Amino acid sequence: MLANEFGDHLIVVDLDWLASSFPDLSDILPITQGGQKDVFGCKHRQHGRCVLKLIRPRPIAQQYLDRECEAVSRLRALAVPNIPEIHDVGTCTSPVGPVLWVLEEFVPGRDLSEILSDGPLGEDQLLALARDLLTTAVSAESLEIVHRDIKPKNIRIDTEGKAWLIDFGIARVLDLESITPTDAVSGPCTPGYSAPEQFRYDKREISGSSDLFAIGVVLYECARGANPFIEGARDRLEILHRVERDPLPRLGLEWDEDGKFCDLVMALTQKRPYQRPRRCKDALEWLDSIANETEGQ
Amino acid sequence: MDLYLQFGWGMMDHGRKLIKKWGGGVSILSARDLTDEQLVSLSRQLQELGGSVLLDPQFYLPRSQHHRLTAHAYWPQDYETTGFAGPAMQGMMTTLAQLNSTLQTTYFIVPGERAEDVDELWLDSQRDLINTARRSTDQPLMVTICLSDSAVRDVEQISRIMDEVSERPVDAYYLVLEKPRTAYLTDDPVWVARCLDLAAGLRRTLAEVVVGYSNHQQLVMACSGVTAIASGTYANVRSFPLSKFQAQQGRPMQRAVWYYYPQALSEYRLPYLDIAFRKGLREELLPQPETGYAEPLFAGSQPSASGWSEPQAFRHYLCALRQQARGAVQSTFDATLQSCRATLDRAEALIQHLGEHGVYAERRTFAKALLANRSGLNVLEQTQGPVLRHEWSTLA
Repeated sequence: MLANEFGDHLIVVDLDWLASSFPDLSDILPITQGGQKDVFGCKHRQHGRCVLKLIRPRPIAQQYLDRECEAVSRLRALAVPNIPEIHDVGTCTSPVGPVLWVLEEFVPGRDLSEILSDGPLGEDQLLALARDLLTTAVSAESLEIVHRDIKPKNIRIDTEGKAWLIDFGIARVLDLESITPTDAVSGPCTPGYSAPEQFRYDKREISGSSDLFAIGVVLYECARGANPFIEGARDRLEILHRVERDPLPRLGLEWDEDGKFCDLVMALTQKRPYQRPRRCKDALEWLDSIANETEGQ
Repeated sequence: MDLYLQFGWGMMDHGRKLIKKWGGGVSILSARDLTDEQLVSLSRQLQELGGSVLLDPQFYLPRSQHHRLTAHAYWPQDYETTGFAGPAMQGMMTTLAQLNSTLQTTYFIVPGERAEDVDELWLDSQRDLINTARRSTDQPLMVTICLSDSAVRDVEQISRIMDEVSERPVDAYYLVLEKPRTAYLTDDPVWVARCLDLAAGLRRTLAEVVVGYSNHQQLVMACSGVTAIASGTYANVRSFPLSKFQAQQGRPMQRAVWYYYPQALSEYRLPYLDIAFRKGLREELLPQPETGYAEPLFAGSQPSASGWSEPQAFRHYLCALRQQARGAVQSTFDATLQSCRATLDRAEALIQHLGEHGVYAERRTFAKALLANRSGLNVLEQTQGPVLRHEWSTLA
């Protein structure tokens, strides 16, 4: 048994079990395994190259598995741009316990986290990334869906430079009762990216605005090349404290002479939802106005 | 940002004269200080002069023993916290709606209880009051948000209000915010910062925001894009002393006459103006811009012997404040912020300069509020500054 950086145990799923449980799949190979999620590359008889995700709820949430499955199922029917198509979804009992499985379109390209290891993004890449992410957020918001885990590892940049937001596996469909038990001390979140209201697990406050916060942090990291909430932090608790307490230092970007893009990022990363743009749509329109001005110069 | 007249005791004649002078303006009538008959006749007079009116039902303390308040027909005779959401509340709203209709108010100010803490109980009460008001009138609603100083200072409580607001938007908000230690001018930067934050958050929902019971310290609210601040004559309508709504108190006694020196954001008693005149500072103390009420004070060599009295002082104050409020908002958020900061800087320099000549504003010096206001503006700039900068054209 292995453990990841946060001490979550990694239980490796048996490939033979996978092959027998998913007879339509072939060439199954692990991509990532850890925490609550294992990801496999594979070929599907009908859909071709795909990704299979096995999501293990924490024991306390197992009784909510069917509801979580329902939430993800609903995503299949929704037209959210820049997210991989979900081919199929279900629940089953695996050798490591009950799991939710999701079979989705494979997006060729690289994770944003991998791209960032080469250094910060330039103006064009940054504006394109912002546009793709906000477009997705606008669409999700209109359907009352919150991704809740936007971070570089969950963003794939395809071979044409388009950003795809992956892993809607922990999305909360707002018109369903929360998929996380009410007695949980915190909801799903990634320290350093998730909005303060998420790790406070203030359900009333979690909305599309929470995704705006994460998008803002991602854009900040892409512009600066580092995430100040995470950089040099002692542990997860310190990251959470920083997110709750410390404002991000203002960005200074050469191409953003009047600071309008920096303003947008600062607005997105405010600690309280009401201090951010009111809706994802407002943030996208704001970005468009910046892009138009930039193009006009 | 406009200045509305906040009515209190002895305000009727001032109100009529000022609305006539201005050729219009909004008056917030005080149920505590006016009978139904007075409300009706005064509102008609003000409207004939080109003004418009709002009625503050002053339901801050439902168990108030203030006889002039509780004598109004809309005031519930048997207030029970648990049972009030039913027919009693409906009865109150129906009567209030009729009164508002008679007065031809521009908004229906929804009565709001003062929140010691913003908790579920208070939020439930607010929801009930708003829903009942909706059923009772076709007028646009202006929702009262009346908060204790500790509630104002707590960002969690402000967040709860904003969370509620985002789910249930209304046309307008009437903010009634207690100052720490019931101060006239507060030196508490957290209180100022939270007021700015709350007001900006509300205004960004595109609702009108009126900050009641204000004085010149609230001129910084221009940076939050608020619609208006409301102020009046005596100190008890330029800030919000809760005790004045608890039980009937004596009428304000004849007090010192204060000259509001707008450039210094400070008020000076006339004997200190005498000293200033002797020191050759007369010209410097002239109000900029003029209000039309201060000339007698500056006509002779000894202001304290000029016969300049309380009514002139009140009207001068309100005219000066109105001009400052109207001039505070600029075409951009940054220009507004810069203008507010420049006003504070200039006030600081003048207070110091006059002090060096032995001219003091005593307890009404703005010196104690300068840092709090500067700090509050800094916090606003850091938090909602970027979004206000972007949205300013839709707010101001």
